[in-house]
Amino acid sequence: MSVLAATALDDVGSAAQRPRRSLNGWSIALFIYATAFYLFLYGPIAIIVLLSFNNSEVTGLPFRGATTHWYEVVFARPDLMSALFNSIALGFISAAIATAMAFFLGLSFRRDYVGQQLVLGLVLLPIILPGILGGIVLLIFFGYLGIRPGLYTTVLVAHVNWVLPFAFLTLNGRLQGLDRAVEEAAMDLGARTHQVMLRVVLPIIRPALVATLLFSFSLSFDEFIRTLFVMGYDRTVPVVLWSAIVDRLAPELPAMAVITILISTAGSLCGFAFAARASKRQA
Amino acid sequence: MANPPTKEMPAAIQLDTATPISVSVRNVYKTFDTTPALKDIALDIRRGEFFSLLGPSGCGKTTLLRSIGGFETPTSGTILIDGKDVGGIPPYGRPTNMIFQQLALFPHLDVYENVAFGLRVQKKPKEQIDGRVKGALALVRLEGYERRMPSQLSGGQRQRVAMARALVNEPSVLLLDEPLGSLDLQLRLQMHEELRRLQRTLGNTFVFVTHDQGEAMSMSDRIAVMNGGVIVQLGTPEDIYERPQSRFVAQFVGHTNLFDGKVIRIEGSRVTVESDGISLAATTPTPVELGQAVTVVVRYERLGLGAGDTTLRGNVAERMFLGGTVRVVMALSGGRLVTADIASTAATGLPAIGEPVALTFNASDSRVLVA
Repeated sequence: MSVLAATALDDVGSAAQRPRRSLNGWSIALFIYATAFYLFLYGPIAIIVLLSFNNSEVTGLPFRGATTHWYEVVFARPDLMSALFNSIALGFISAAIATAMAFFLGLSFRRDYVGQQLVLGLVLLPIILPGILGGIVLLIFFGYLGIRPGLYTTVLVAHVNWVLPFAFLTLNGRLQGLDRAVEEAAMDLGARTHQVMLRVVLPIIRPALVATLLFSFSLSFDEFIRTLFVMGYDRTVPVVLWSAIVDRLAPELPAMAVITILISTAGSLCGFAFAARASKRQA
Repeated sequence: MANPPTKEMPAAIQLDTATPISVSVRNVYKTFDTTPALKDIALDIRRGEFFSLLGPSGCGKTTLLRSIGGFETPTSGTILIDGKDVGGIPPYGRPTNMIFQQLALFPHLDVYENVAFGLRVQKKPKEQIDGRVKGALALVRLEGYERRMPSQLSGGQRQRVAMARALVNEPSVLLLDEPLGSLDLQLRLQMHEELRRLQRTLGNTFVFVTHDQGEAMSMSDRIAVMNGGVIVQLGTPEDIYERPQSRFVAQFVGHTNLFDGKVIRIEGSRVTVESDGISLAATTPTPVELGQAVTVVVRYERLGLGAGDTTLRGNVAERMFLGGTVRVVMALSGGRLVTADIASTAATGLPAIGEPVALTFNASDSRVLVA
């Protein structure tokens, strides 16, 4: 939930500026709570990173010495590498489609029209619909249409469906905040509609567009449940990881997880950076 | 208010009936949903004229300006620019450029590119763009700021960029939508002078929208005062100020004492009006009848302490030092208040608060409004 994380980050920033209070019972309790909070949040990730370097055939503690062996195993296994490629390609394509759709939806929301609230509700529905339900619905839907499951057919649709509401929420604020007078000024200076779009609107919202693309990529990259339902032969990284645990002991799993985490967080972090630039520009 | 013209300023353009019409607005109505914003607007603006649309917010002045610029479509009526009906022509096809209230500079472009925008979208040759952009920046005295971003400029500098951006296209008509509203007073007075200088140098028609009567008076050749979607009076600043035709104009333009009463004596254009037991001498522009209900308009600064045709007696209720003048509020015996602006140099003998005072004015300085 990148959008929520962004607001959480803002809160942390403002808290740092508050005056320090003296230690009393409450603040000690708060300290313990916060420590536990971060321990539970990041502890497992830290342990995964640790285990990925563990020189042991069994996934788990104790730590028997450091090795990069499991990373070599991952990079040597064609099924894992193709899953990684599938996830990245799918992430980019669904991010591009969702961002484009979010952009045009946002443009349409700058005018009032009948049924606007209904459209908004439908766009945001996948957020509140449980993933397992979404997956089943999509499976039935594709079954009725007779569409065979495939990475760039059913899975792509499922991903765009999942990513779109977040892309819309990320981009829409920027689009609604765009000063209409700036577009009028461009038109007044002789720009046709397409010139207004290419020379004014798109350059101004470009940071927000890039941020939306990156967030969307991260979301698609991590998607599991819906993918599982509509997947064909080509698997994505989360599905491969899941089946690896279910089918057998998978000592290379932590290494794969670390790679996944790195790609996913890199996308989101770049997204945050662009979002920050976008809001700075807007000011 | 208006600064004396400096040497570099060419003399004001003489406007007469021989000057061609730049903008002609004919019977224009505009209705938003069911709310009428413009009602039967008709006016001719001459080429090279500095024309102001003056009125309170919601009076329709901005709607009229935006209709000329092509941002609003009149519900009915026609607008001609340089003799050509511009109905159905979008903003990019009109020989007008607008300076927006919030300026609307392009935040992603530097000063140079902001100014060059119009020429770029019209695909003018590069050398020509460069020459004209530099010329426009020189015109608004912004040389050396080419590579600054709008966010790095002060309010006054942004104002100049907006002007250069519009003027570089050499519009036949420049439309200004209260562009000085966000500036502080000192800067605003400076920009008034600047605008006047630009307009005289370039000779374009300027249509200026404002709710500030001082601004309109100091810059305009003519002013259309608007209220409730109609033009209530159109004329030179002197006309509007000296000869208001309605209570609204009298109160909106300048500071005014109004006395409602009945005509009790007529001697040609000079009449005597009785208001709450006080006799007031005034001049009437239109014939009136004995007993007719009228309003007498006396500007604050037309009241004095010396001798006059009418003398009002009361006590000083308030006095305020305004610099060049002292504002005196006098309470008449019935309780009603009369305000006068007395030149500071003449105010030395002014009684203290609570003391009796006599304020006077001449019939030539007061004016009768019919109904």
